[in-house]
Amino acid sequence: MAKKILIVDDDPDLVEAVTMILESKNYDVAAAYGGIEGLQKAKAENPDLIVLDVMMPDKDGYAVCKELKADPKLSKIPILLLTAVVSKISTTRYTQQMGLETEADDYIDKPVEPEVLVKRIEGLLAK
Amino acid sequence: MPNQASILVIDDEQIMRDGCSRILSRDGCSVICAENGKQGLEEIKGHPENIDVILLDLMMPGMSGMEALDHIRAIDPNLLVIVITGYATVESAVEAMKKGAYDFIPKPFTPDQLRIIVKRALERRTLQKEAEFLRREREKSLRDIATEKSKIKTIINCMGDGVLVCDRDSCIVLSNPAASRMLKVSESSLIGNFLPQCNLHSELSMMIQESLATTDKSYSSVSQELSLGESGEIFLRAHTAPVRNDLGETLGSVTVLQDISHLKELDKMKSEFIAMVAHELRAPLAAVEQQLTVILNKMAGEVTEKQEQLLSRAKERTKGLLTLIKDLLDLSKIEAGMMVQYKEPLHLHEVVQKVVDLMRAEAEAKKLDLQFTAPPELSLISADRNSMEGIFTNLISNAIKYTPEGGKVWVHLGEEGEFVKVTVSDTGIGIKKEDLSRIFDKFYRVKTVETRQIVGTGLGLSIVKSVVDAHLGSISVESEEGGGTTFTVLLPKESSPTACGK
Repeated sequence: MAKKILIVDDDPDLVEAVTMILESKNYDVAAAYGGIEGLQKAKAENPDLIVLDVMMPDKDGYAVCKELKADPKLSKIPILLLTAVVSKISTTRYTQQMGLETEADDYIDKPVEPEVLVKRIEGLLAK
Repeated sequence: MPNQASILVIDDEQIMRDGCSRILSRDGCSVICAENGKQGLEEIKGHPENIDVILLDLMMPGMSGMEALDHIRAIDPNLLVIVITGYATVESAVEAMKKGAYDFIPKPFTPDQLRIIVKRALERRTLQKEAEFLRREREKSLRDIATEKSKIKTIINCMGDGVLVCDRDSCIVLSNPAASRMLKVSESSLIGNFLPQCNLHSELSMMIQESLATTDKSYSSVSQELSLGESGEIFLRAHTAPVRNDLGETLGSVTVLQDISHLKELDKMKSEFIAMVAHELRAPLAAVEQQLTVILNKMAGEVTEKQEQLLSRAKERTKGLLTLIKDLLDLSKIEAGMMVQYKEPLHLHEVVQKVVDLMRAEAEAKKLDLQFTAPPELSLISADRNSMEGIFTNLISNAIKYTPEGGKVWVHLGEEGEFVKVTVSDTGIGIKKEDLSRIFDKFYRVKTVETRQIVGTGLGLSIVKSVVDAHLGSISVESEEGGGTTFTVLLPKESSPTACGK
């Protein structure tokens, strides 16, 4: 059975593009367009993995991540953070530290190369 | 005497007047004669400053010599009077001297006796005039100094910058209203008080004490930014310099304070603005690039060769823009002082090794020989790990970018005095002499046929330099056009004096 991946990002264009990448690799994809919707979908869809954007207006990725990890039913779902604020030199320690605190499982910089994204997802799913 | 000396002869005897006149005229004096006291006094009253010496006969009809002497003294006590006394009347000579006559000459006298006594009087007159001249000069100088003092005081008091002057015992001897306004203390609590009692900003006190204590002759001035106010919202820039005498001894120190709060505020606004714009630009661009990636990977259907070509180029352009935005974000972070907040003891070897490993694929793709050498033992540095990774990524990827296929890039670690030294060398296209001095400038890119195809923002090296500066290190470059380039980075070892200094 195909693994289900939930993608959470407030930018519909980005969601669409990532969805196309994942569908081409035969993943079952669910989409949410904000942090709050992301939490609802996570509960409803029970995905195998969540690709989560950091900067969202209603509830940011850190907060979503924290709530997911606090929920015993959802805490096992691996989370791949999509970071856009990462800058070249510092890879913003802030983002990393916040991410670590919220126990995200991996990070990836937007925009993503399909092979890299798929490789990371496979890595997380294999754990 | 430079000017002709003028002598007034007051005598009732024609022979005496003519005799004196003849003798003294021959010696180059100008002689005026008066027949009696009254006439003599009129001559004097006319212009006392023109008469140098008066020869006054004591025994005259009408106004006596003694009486005339009193009047002369009343007109100008500085006038030199030689009394002529008849027939050796010593008593009257003594009395005249008591009244202030300069000298006396008894009748009869020879021409030489007259000459000697007049010459002496004239010499005395010269000295008197010189003394008078010097006294006037001194008065004038004192007046000038007073004027100058009041002028300087007014200038200092009107200045927008704060001024504090300390003597060598660190007692404040001068301050202006701007200084008390900036430091938020009353002028009376500054002037006349010793530094430790003034409750000044501790860094400011320390700066002044240091400038007073220094014995280094080459030490001229230091500048430092201070933040004041309850939440540090006031920023002052303080310049302190010692005042030395011609022997090089420190006599005190002068401190000038500038309020730079509004500049700081503007600078912060600028950085925030750049960060805001960059964030706003980044999201849509990332989405565009993501879409292009999907199409190029044929996930949205087949793509013709021509379409692929065009879309690849479009993707390169969005990549370039994203890099520019990242650089702008980095720069605004560095400028906001947020870049190197996480200094820790760091093994540079480990950091550089990681970067070299990451870069290896890129180098191999261009068939470049990428080498890394380091000594077995290397001192730790105190630095921000991510910033270090960033700068070496930048330098090594530059070296790879600007080196043609088959070339060599080597990275070497070592030590030099109090510094850990990293060199990144390549056999690339090199940099022209005229470009060398500007390559660390923001947005500066070397434009040649070879570099036209290379994507870049012109911010990379200026960011590298800012990061190295923030770590109190230095970066230098050596290059020859067509002969490769070497970048040398020096970073202070951990706990070396440079590292824990200001």
